[in-house]
Amino acid sequence: MKRTYDAIIVGAGPAGSSAALTMARAGLDVVLLERGDFPGEKNMFGGVLHRLTALEDIFPDFWNQAPLERHVVKKTLTFMTGESSFNVNFDTEASDRPPYNGYTIYRPHFDRWLAEEAVKAGATLLVRSTVDDVIIEKGRVVGVTMLRDGSELRAPVVIAADGVLSFTAKKAGLRRPRFNPSHQAIGVKAMVDMPKAVIDDRFGLVRDQGASNEIVGCSAGVRGGGFLYTNYDSLSIGLVLHLSSLSESGKTPYDLLNDFVKQPQMSKLLRGGRLLEYSAHLVPEGGYEMMPEIVGDGILVAGDAAAMCIVTGLNLEGINLATQSGVLAGKAVVEAHKNFDFSRAGLGVYRRLLEDSYVLKDLKLYRRTPGMLHNNRIYSQYPDMVCSLMDEIYRIDGTPKDTMTKLLLRTAKEKIGLKNLLADVYTGWRAL
Amino acid sequence: MNINPDEIFDTTSYNIDREAHIVLDTEVCKDCDQRACVNCCPARCYTWDEENRKMTFVHDACLECGTCYVVCGKDAFTRWRYPRGGFGVSFRMT
Repeated sequence: MKRTYDAIIVGAGPAGSSAALTMARAGLDVVLLERGDFPGEKNMFGGVLHRLTALEDIFPDFWNQAPLERHVVKKTLTFMTGESSFNVNFDTEASDRPPYNGYTIYRPHFDRWLAEEAVKAGATLLVRSTVDDVIIEKGRVVGVTMLRDGSELRAPVVIAADGVLSFTAKKAGLRRPRFNPSHQAIGVKAMVDMPKAVIDDRFGLVRDQGASNEIVGCSAGVRGGGFLYTNYDSLSIGLVLHLSSLSESGKTPYDLLNDFVKQPQMSKLLRGGRLLEYSAHLVPEGGYEMMPEIVGDGILVAGDAAAMCIVTGLNLEGINLATQSGVLAGKAVVEAHKNFDFSRAGLGVYRRLLEDSYVLKDLKLYRRTPGMLHNNRIYSQYPDMVCSLMDEIYRIDGTPKDTMTKLLLRTAKEKIGLKNLLADVYTGWRAL
Repeated sequence: MNINPDEIFDTTSYNIDREAHIVLDTEVCKDCDQRACVNCCPARCYTWDEENRKMTFVHDACLECGTCYVVCGKDAFTRWRYPRGGFGVSFRMT
């Protein structure tokens, strides 16, 4: 077997495959390493694939080429308590025509497809290939060793696209040896079998239209949120929980998920559904603040491995950032091959490309958001306040009404405290 | 619908490696006052027996998420890596 390449990419997820595709199309001889039986086998996410602008040159009609479930036209934000839910819906025809604004997908299908596209462009894909270590010579990364047999693969540059824990970046000395639990969240998900016609009726959808729903207040006070997404003939439902908060709570992710699916509003949506698959994965929610060094001598870091993740509470961005960073890492390596300079300085163009793109701009813009979301009040008191407020507004029980302003102030005072409310508005304004 | 980690093999596929990809020094766990791995692991791979003050870890149902790696405050792992290529959890449609 061939042992030397122009570049080694660790991890055939969206970042790795995008990098491989970019480099292979530019004529480089690259190898893409995947520890699963096939790309996507180990991958899991909440559920919405945003528009991938980085790949639109390569796939001009992406929506006809990629294996997608539904395109999302209906977005809902829900504030939930044990027995109430307050929903904000956004429906737009603009998301119902190309270029669509987001899709639901199955990762084992989508990631496999993207890796196969890289292979079609000339990349070599090695599956069942877990990387054990990076080879460092004269302070420079020059290859990797494989866990299976200790064999070596060599290249002047390695792209670490090995996901949220990135042992490749760690072994190259680019990320801190320990993670801060408050930078990471765990996502747990249940896939629920449901006929397409039932999903269409229940969620008010036609054709391949899809719905996405983010829920606050469904995690028993643990910082985090819920999600519900429609696939073609299944639903994805799950929770994303901050690890520091989950750990302090003493609660388990599956108990919280079981409570969530039994909440009356959710249970009506899931009625008749059968559990198909249960999965879990970490989310590098710390974003900009937890980013490792992304450029080293002979190595670049992309995607989740570089903590390229943006959580605002409304959107959860990851795959779009991963794909963009993979493409840019690929371009930087193509540049480095032209100049035959794989040093930190030679590969530094990757950082500049990222800084000019929305990836680092948005990561910086939302750098305070993870901190804002570490406010426990968001996950129980605010949903409780919104639901009590709506209940008082709608309830006709023979008692005289307050003015809306009075009602609002009284509820806020009771549920949050005015001082806290002001502080939270200020933090929210600074973070968003 | 109910998610029960004891029945995880009914809904999630695995190709279990006999060689564990995570090895725990359970002596370290005895002095831990948090043991966040026990409640945070989504596959309930960790069990703490208070009576005998003993931590048990079984890797078979591991979802390879990394939660234990992140929450462990005691560096109790003598090994924490992903399974050998082709082994471990196998998501089909998630």
